[in-house]
Amino acid sequence: MKLAVAVQRYGADINGGAELHARYIAERLARHADVEVVSTCARDYVTWKNERPSGIEHVNGIRVRRFPVVHQRDPYHFGRLSRRVFDQSHSLADEIAWLDSEGPASPAMIDYLEQAAPKLDFILLFSYRYYHAWHGARRVPSKALLVPTAERDSAIGLGIFGPTFRGVRAVMYNSHEERAMIQAATHNEQVPGVVVGVGSEIPASTNAERFRRKHNIRKPFAIYVGRIDENKGCKELFDFFLRYAATFPKGLDLVLIGSAIMSIPQHPRIHHLGFQPDEDKFDGIAASDLLIMPSYFESLSMVALEAWALGRPVLANGRCDVLKGQCIRSAAGLYYERYEEFAETLYALESNGPLHARLGRNGRDYFTQHYTWPVIERKYLDMFDRLKRDDATGSTRAPVESLGGWFARRRTDRRPASDVLAGIPSGAAPTGNSNNLSRSA
Amino acid sequence: MTDFSVRSDNVDVEQIMRQIRARIREKRGVDYTEEEIRELANVKLEKFLDPRGVRSDLLEQFRRKREASLPPNFKFEDSTLFETHRGLLAFIRRLLRPILKLFFNPNPLIEALHIQSKLNAQQAALEPLYYEVIHNLVLETTRLGIDVKNLKMRVESMSSRLDFDERRARALEGVVQYRPGAVPPLQPPTGGGESREARGPETAEQSERRNRRRRRRGRRRPDERGPGGGPAPMRNGTGQSDSRGLTRDGGGEADNQQQSEAGSAIAPDVTPNDPGPTQESGQSDDRRLTPVHSPEPSES
Repeated sequence: MKLAVAVQRYGADINGGAELHARYIAERLARHADVEVVSTCARDYVTWKNERPSGIEHVNGIRVRRFPVVHQRDPYHFGRLSRRVFDQSHSLADEIAWLDSEGPASPAMIDYLEQAAPKLDFILLFSYRYYHAWHGARRVPSKALLVPTAERDSAIGLGIFGPTFRGVRAVMYNSHEERAMIQAATHNEQVPGVVVGVGSEIPASTNAERFRRKHNIRKPFAIYVGRIDENKGCKELFDFFLRYAATFPKGLDLVLIGSAIMSIPQHPRIHHLGFQPDEDKFDGIAASDLLIMPSYFESLSMVALEAWALGRPVLANGRCDVLKGQCIRSAAGLYYERYEEFAETLYALESNGPLHARLGRNGRDYFTQHYTWPVIERKYLDMFDRLKRDDATGSTRAPVESLGGWFARRRTDRRPASDVLAGIPSGAAPTGNSNNLSRSA
Repeated sequence: MTDFSVRSDNVDVEQIMRQIRARIREKRGVDYTEEEIRELANVKLEKFLDPRGVRSDLLEQFRRKREASLPPNFKFEDSTLFETHRGLLAFIRRLLRPILKLFFNPNPLIEALHIQSKLNAQQAALEPLYYEVIHNLVLETTRLGIDVKNLKMRVESMSSRLDFDERRARALEGVVQYRPGAVPPLQPPTGGGESREARGPETAEQSERRNRRRRRRGRRRPDERGPGGGPAPMRNGTGQSDSRGLTRDGGGEADNQQQSEAGSAIAPDVTPNDPGPTQESGQSDDRRLTPVHSPEPSES
């Protein structure tokens, strides 16, 4: 079987969520198929500046074919178009212009995918909102599997993405909430889809004591792992934690792992360790009492899965549908939406040993059942088999919907994307049983 | 703080969250529900608040002013300057637009007006938020006013109980009799110099110690002592001992309530088994206080 993985950036040094996801999937599927990664020469996701040489190179044994980006992103132009398509009535042409402005615009990459498609069995397109995924899905829909990595933001309300989601062969969702949101926005229920997510390289053993010694942390603590950024909910986390620390003088400390792009309050119970290698990260999670995930927008939190894999409960921001849904389905975490809930839930996890232990065990079970690599690989392989069977039976597929003619594209008849998003139901995906671990089928 | 018992393997996170939220609701509004506070804020502000400080019709005035002062907004897009309902004119304008652009560049003007239109829309969108903020402030002020009033009443009640306790303690000291052969009791100073001289010279340290003993007798109540006479254990809000030694500043509302309830039943604070303050001070004192009568049954 020959597969191509198309993603906006690729490299061992790129730790962005979707890009890391793509790398993990490519490396894992390479055990079952001949995998080639198709990507751009960009390293920076804001400018898409060509920083790597075009051509072929190998990353962790995977062949990577890079194509140059034809223009960098102009933040002013992109901002203007974003305001137009998100907040005002607009046309389809505006949305296409927005997509081109967002980038990374690499027509050569799309041409290559079209040329290589006959020799490939399937093409995995990562991140629906970028140029390569949209154009790739329209150019080779019969081979395209979309891994949307969609968050709850206005882009999902743009009309150009509906035909893409309805036209691809299959969609590999990260979570039930993501699937519910995409189906509500694009009505692609007839397209085969499966909630997969991604696994993680969990070490066989961890050494919590080594972490404590190395960083001189003796007291029990909660841990946050990730970029320390206001957009990740860290400001709210600090506000809440400072209030909590004032209320509970002998409560948990807070340990932060990750590079900071906002100021961190100086407090004797907040320890910022900066970016740490994976070994320290896993040892830190193992040494902690729980992981806090304050982010509002996640399509899948890998670090939450890692905490569950290590038997640590998670305290998540309940305003993030995905995290809340995962906490409920896994029965391995609590969530908060305001300070009072933060204090109560943190206190419950801190002081109630049986609850803490039970949630930790549930987390480990949840990870084992749904997010270990054999499970993830099996879901991908099953989907490939299913699509091949469909091909063999000669089932007909409707072509990708046309975008209309020149005049139709310029008709200002599209609702603001933010309005569309507001109409999409939010909240954790409905589930009959909160401890039902078999939903992710 | 919420306490959960995990009895089975199945943990229902939603159920736990419901319990936590119920607990928070309990803590927030002991006396008034959200609806009641809303009603009070709308109708009976003057009853709780100083009308000179916060106007009870603030919200209504804000709403009236806002409706009266909102100008209509305009939309300004790329094509607004050249729009017309006449097809021919629109065609001619489109034809001549490149020529027009030879004379001046309308784009900055269009962009500026477009941004202004956006700002106007944002401002209009903010107005309801301001209204909401003011509305919430009025509600919270009302809630705080009620809380302050309640707390004042509680402080008054507790201070009157304290006075009563002190008077009772002094009365008890007056009615006890001492065993024969015991050292004569120390009499409170009557203001004359004779008794002081009769007892012989007294050092400042002894005097201070005696005063301290008296103060302690006046203060201590049985409900302040934990089991075995030790200090009362630190409790959490649910009244359960916190096994991890976590303490919560400012919490313990239940404790206060418990104490004030216990304080209403006064027990004699001098009992035959009470070692008395002399042991605390490290002195041997064989003066045993024996109540002549039990003034009231002690707290069961």
